[in-house]
Amino acid sequence: MDGMAMGRAGKLLALPLALAALLAGCTPGAERGGESAWAPEESERLVVYTSHKEEVYWPVIKEFEERTGIWVEIVTGGTNELLSRIAKEGEEPQADVMFGGGVDSLEAYGAWLEPYFCADWEKLSENMRSDDGLWTPFSALPVVLVYNTKLVDEGRLTSWKDLFSPAWQGRIAFCDPSISGSSFTGLVTMLHAVGGERDQVLRRFAVSLDGRQLSDSGDVLDSVASGTDLVGITLEETALKRAAEGAEIALVYPEDGTSCIPDGGALIKGAPHGDNARLFLDFIAGADVQRRMEEELSRRPVRSDVALTGELLPLEEIPLVEYDLSWISANHDAILMSWAFYFEGGEQP
Amino acid sequence: MKLSQSFRMRLFAGFLLASLLPLLLCAVMLLQVFRLRLDSQMDSETQGQLSSVTGALDSLYEGFRKVSLALQSSPYVSPALATGQRESDMVYSELYGATEGSRSSARFDLYDAEGNWLYSTGSAAPQGRLPTQWGVLRSARESGKLVFSQVDGGEGSGAVLLQGCAYLTTPEGAGAGYLVITLTRSHIAQALEGKYGNRSQLLLLSRYWRPVYATQTGQAETLAAQLRQRLLAGEPLSAEGGEFAYRLAFQEGMGLYVVLQRPQALNQDTRRLLTTVTAGSALVCLVLSVLMSISLSRQMFRPVARLQKAIGEVERNNLDVYVTPYQNDELGQLAQRFNAMVSALKRNQEQLLENQRELNEAQIRMLQAQLNPHFLCNTLDTMKWISKINQVPQVAVMSTDLADILRFCISPDEFVPLSREVELLRRYMEIQSIRLSEQCRFEVELPEELETCLVPKMILQPIVENAVLHGLAGVDNGVVRVKVWTEGEETLKISVTDNGLGLPPELEGKYVRGFESDRSHLGLYNVDTILKKHYGGESGLYLARRSDGPGTVVTAVLPLRREEREC
Repeated sequence: MDGMAMGRAGKLLALPLALAALLAGCTPGAERGGESAWAPEESERLVVYTSHKEEVYWPVIKEFEERTGIWVEIVTGGTNELLSRIAKEGEEPQADVMFGGGVDSLEAYGAWLEPYFCADWEKLSENMRSDDGLWTPFSALPVVLVYNTKLVDEGRLTSWKDLFSPAWQGRIAFCDPSISGSSFTGLVTMLHAVGGERDQVLRRFAVSLDGRQLSDSGDVLDSVASGTDLVGITLEETALKRAAEGAEIALVYPEDGTSCIPDGGALIKGAPHGDNARLFLDFIAGADVQRRMEEELSRRPVRSDVALTGELLPLEEIPLVEYDLSWISANHDAILMSWAFYFEGGEQP
Repeated sequence: MKLSQSFRMRLFAGFLLASLLPLLLCAVMLLQVFRLRLDSQMDSETQGQLSSVTGALDSLYEGFRKVSLALQSSPYVSPALATGQRESDMVYSELYGATEGSRSSARFDLYDAEGNWLYSTGSAAPQGRLPTQWGVLRSARESGKLVFSQVDGGEGSGAVLLQGCAYLTTPEGAGAGYLVITLTRSHIAQALEGKYGNRSQLLLLSRYWRPVYATQTGQAETLAAQLRQRLLAGEPLSAEGGEFAYRLAFQEGMGLYVVLQRPQALNQDTRRLLTTVTAGSALVCLVLSVLMSISLSRQMFRPVARLQKAIGEVERNNLDVYVTPYQNDELGQLAQRFNAMVSALKRNQEQLLENQRELNEAQIRMLQAQLNPHFLCNTLDTMKWISKINQVPQVAVMSTDLADILRFCISPDEFVPLSREVELLRRYMEIQSIRLSEQCRFEVELPEELETCLVPKMILQPIVENAVLHGLAGVDNGVVRVKVWTEGEETLKISVTDNGLGLPPELEGKYVRGFESDRSHLGLYNVDTILKKHYGGESGLYLARRSDGPGTVVTAVLPLRREEREC
C-alpha cells in the first residue's frame, strides 16, 4: 500500500463529507427564533431546590407561579443531598432557594445561606422563627410516638421513658439518625425529655432497639402499621396523614415533652434570582399558604395569626422540651458518634 | 511490482473521488431539498391545525365568557348567591339558559362568597368547600375576569384538568359568589376533536408550561417537563436529530399553550432508505473504480512490464533484445526509442571491442618490436669481440658503451640509482669523446652517500647531450662537469656545467616551458617535464651562467629519495 496516496485520498474524501455536514446543519432553525420568544426573562425565573414531597411543593409552587408570574424550576432531592450540593456549588450557586429540610439542617449549612427576614416575620410564632433570619419556617413538625392500635393497648405508651420498657425491646421502629434528620431530632428530643446522663439514656435506648434500625424514615410508619414493630418515632405530620388514610396507628404526644422543630426555606447566598427567592420565602410563610397547608395536608402552621381549623391539637396543649438549636448543631457529630458507639453494642462502661 | 501497485492506488483514488464526490453532493442536496419541501409542506399543515385548535379554544372561551356575562347581568343569580339561597328555580333557569350553548363542553357550578357550593349543571354535588384565598377563585376575584387554571385531575377521562372561575358581584358591586367552570379530559377531547391531524400529538400547556392535557395521556408529564426544560435552557424544542418537531401557539383567554408534536418530515425510515441508497451507489462507484483502475493500470502496465523485462536483459548484458511496440501511443514510442537506444548501445559496444582488438594488436607488435634492441645489444657485443680480436679498440669501446646504453635504455625500471645514471653518462661521454676526437672532458663529483639516490631514468643524459651539442660546439678543451649535492634534508641538486658559449640572458633562471619552439632543446624540455610530473612544480631545471668563467650551469632540482631496499 502506498501510504501517501491513501492519505491524500482520505483527505479528498473528507471534503464532500464535510460539505454534506455543512449542508445538513444549516437548513432548519429559520423558525426557531419564535420559540425562544416564549421563554421567560431571567428576571421572571426562580430555581428551587426542594426536599419536600410533590404533594407538598407542587400546590405551593403552582400557586406561586400563578400569583407572581415567575417561572419556577424545581430540582428535587433529599435534604442533605441538596444542601451538600449547594455547598459544593458554593461561589456559583445554581439554586435560589432551598425549600424543605428541618431548620436544624439548614442551620448546619448556614455558611451558604443568606439571612432574610420574610415580610411577615413579626407574625411568625416566636419559637418558630430564626432570630438571625437565616431561614424562614414553613411548617411546625412536632416529634411524636406512634403505636399499632391493634397490638398495643391505649395508654401503655405515653412518654419517652416508656420506650425503655422491655415490652417493646427489638420492636421499636426507629430510623438511623445519621440518615434521617427527623430521626436525629427524635433522638435529641428524647435525650432532653428523659433527662439525666446522656450516655446512660443512649445506652438504654440502644438496648431497647436491640440492634435494629430502619434505613428510611418513611419505613417507620409502614413498619408500625403492618405490625412488624409495635411502636415508632416519627413526625406528627406524616403520622397524621397516615392515620387519616386509615392505617391502624395512633399518635402519642409524649408527656415528658417533645420538640417542635419547623422545616423551612432559605435564601442561598449569591442566588442568581435573589429578589424572586425573597418573594418565594415571603409566600411560603404567608397566611394563604400556611392556612392551605393546614387544611389540605395537616401541616402545622408557623404563624401566630393562623388559627387551627382542623383536627390538629393546638401547640399549647403539647408538652414541649427546651430545645437549643445552636447547641445541637454544634454537638451534632458528637451525639451521632456516641449513638453509633452504643448502638453497635459498645463496651459497657 | 511496487510501481504498478502505487500507480493503481492513485488511479483508484482518482476514480473514486471523481465518482463519489458528485454522488455524495447530489445525495446531500437531494436530501436537503426533499427535507425543506417536506418541512414547508408540513409547516403549513401544522399551522392550519394550530390555528384551528386555537380557534376552537377561542370559541370555547368566548362561550364561557358569555355565560359569565349572562349570569352577572341576571337579576336573580347574584342576590341568590349573596344570600346563600339554594334550589332557586329562577337561578336554575337562568343558569341553564345562559349555558345553553356551552353546557356540553363544561360543567358549570355556582358558589357563594365563602366557597360553598349552591348550584350546578352537573348531576352530583362536588365535595367540600372551595378555598377562596387560594387558586383560581382568588385570582378571579383579584383580577375581576374569567380566569382559568390547571388542575391535577388524574388519569381518567372524567378527570378534571382545567378550572375556570369568574367572580360574580351584586349590582351594588359587593361580592356575591363564584361561577366555576370545570373541564374534564373528555370535555377537552371533545372540543378539540378533529382539529389536528391524526399524525400529530396535541399537548396543552399552562401559562408556565405545566402540562394540562395531552392526546396521549401518559406522555403529558414527561414530555411537558422535557419541553419546559428545553425552553428554560434556551434550547430549541425540536432536538437536533430528534424524532419529532414541535409547533406552538398561545391562546390568551384560557392561558394555554397549544403544542403540536408531529414526526419530523424526514423520519428515520426515509433517512435510512436514503442513506442505504447512497451507500449502495457509493459501493457501486467503489467497485467500478476498482475495476477501472485495474484494467487501465493493466493496459498501462503490460508495455511497461515488457520494457522493464527488456531493461533487465540489457542489465544482464544481453543486447539482442527487441521490444515489439504494439501500440502507436506514448508507450509504443517509448518502446521504439528503447529499441533504438539498445541498438546504439550495441553498436558502441562493438566499436569498443574493435578498438580494444586493435590496441591489443599494437601491444603485441610492440612486444615483438622489443626483441630488436636485445638483438642489437647482442650484435654490439659480438661487434666488441670481433673488434677486440681485430685490434680496433675504439670500435670495441664504442660497441661496449653502446650496448650498455642500449641495455640501460630498454631496462624496465623507471627510477634508477644515481650511480647507474652517472655510469650511463660516462658511457655516453666516452662515445662522444671518440666522436669528437677527445675534445671534451667529463668530470663527475658524486658524494658516495648520494650514489644510491633514486632519480628518474635518463634525466641527466639529455642535459649532458645539450651541453655537448650546444655548449661545447666549436670549443676546445671542453669540460662537462656533473656535480651532485643535497640542500637541506629533502632536496637533491644535480648540476651540469660546461665551459662553452654560455646561454642567452633571457633563458637564465627557472626553466620556462614552452619558450622553446625548435627541437634543439627538446631534451631539456623533456627532462623538465618528467621532473615536474614526478615531483610537482618545485622541481625542475634551473639555468644559469657560470660565475667563474664562460659556460652554462643547468641544475636539476628534485626531492631526495634513497633507494628502497627491495623486499
